[in-house]
Amino acid sequence: MLFTIDPSAPEPLFEQLAVQVRSAVARGELTAGTRLPSARELAGLLSVNLHTVLRAYQDLRDEGLLELRRGRGAVITARAEQDYLPLREAIDHLASVSRQLGLAPVTTTALIKEALR
Amino acid sequence: MTSSTGSTPSADPGAPVPHRAVTTLVTLGIPVVVLLAGIAVALSWRDVLPDPIAIHWGSNGANGYGDLTGHLTAMVGVTLAMSSFMWAVGYFAGRDAMTRRLAGGTSAWFAVFMTGELVGSLAPQRGLSDAAEAGPIGAVLAWSLAAACLAGALVAWLTPADLPAPATNPIPADAPKVHLAESGQAAWVRDATVGGARWFLVAVAVAMAAIVAISREWAVVVILVFVFALLVIMLARWTVTVDRTGLTVRPLIRRPRIQVPLSEIIGAEVVTVRPFAEFGGWGLRTGAAGRTGVVLRSGPALQVTRTAGRTFVVTVDDAHTGAALLNTLAARARAPH
Repeated sequence: MLFTIDPSAPEPLFEQLAVQVRSAVARGELTAGTRLPSARELAGLLSVNLHTVLRAYQDLRDEGLLELRRGRGAVITARAEQDYLPLREAIDHLASVSRQLGLAPVTTTALIKEALR
Repeated sequence: MTSSTGSTPSADPGAPVPHRAVTTLVTLGIPVVVLLAGIAVALSWRDVLPDPIAIHWGSNGANGYGDLTGHLTAMVGVTLAMSSFMWAVGYFAGRDAMTRRLAGGTSAWFAVFMTGELVGSLAPQRGLSDAAEAGPIGAVLAWSLAAACLAGALVAWLTPADLPAPATNPIPADAPKVHLAESGQAAWVRDATVGGARWFLVAVAVAMAAIVAISREWAVVVILVFVFALLVIMLARWTVTVDRTGLTVRPLIRRPRIQVPLSEIIGAEVVTVRPFAEFGGWGLRTGAAGRTGVVLRSGPALQVTRTAGRTFVVTVDDAHTGAALLNTLAARARAPH
């Protein structure tokens, strides 16, 4: 799993991390039972505060995406995979429809952003 | 995110092998000294040993006999053959400290094990008129194995590490990379796990259980449990990490840890590994031309070409992302600030 953070971006760091885990699950890159590094380990790797990673992991746990085990790191739940499956299918469908219509990716994402408002 | 293939980085085959004198001393010197000491002890007992002596044991005690001189000759031959092979590996292919550690450690391990077995099996035969009275050999095997592992680990630990060898060329412009903001930080973490080797472990476990059931000797059980534990550690999950320090690969017990600093990376890429053809098996390995690796399954793997003629490979899923991030971070670390 690739984690990137950009301190100069407007989103808070914990949100940047949580978004990456959510999208990796939605893309099917992270499957149920996959182990993520412990919060301490990840904080060390990215040289960010431990509480930044803990906040991201706790948000993901509250959403039911992640199971936190003491000393054993974090594990993607089976529910996460199921919950995100319809989203993944919808995105695949959306991508194929917009490709058929010959829409520019920017237009499609603009439409999605508008719909989410 | 990643483009597939750039120019393939290749290790410098003409790079000199470092620490050749130490390698010779360790792989040949230590075994010869240990062997000579064992032979001296055995010969000093010549007059009190039965003739023939017991040289082979089954589950019911001694079952093979021979004369002392022949036994010593065979032992010297086998030990020297092993040590010479390990010397050749370290001397000609030991560009990576890991190869030199494996060669020196294995050489010392084997010599101590063989000598321990020799002395330990002869000691209780002193004063016997018939070698058939020699007792069981299990405890001797267990102690020899313990001493051998200690010696091997000590030699591996004392083996000199590689000298720092920072790369002078930039990372090739066409090497696969990931998108990373200028102010961004990135880390890639992935578990490397076994494939078909798990069935090998199951087969070994079944065979060992059968031996334990037949032998019923505590020492044999201890040896088998120890050997199996080592196998499990070698073939259990390894964690592969790419971050601002470079590539780190470590097993469940965190040692031995393999580290490749960003400054020594010539390039990272994805290759296909065949464990038996290229490394002779699974685990922590040295293959042809001193290429080192953590090889747990066949298929795609992350390969790093390093300075001083070294190449390291680890079989891990999503190796594309790992290789691309490694190139990205190495290029950034080398860029003038």
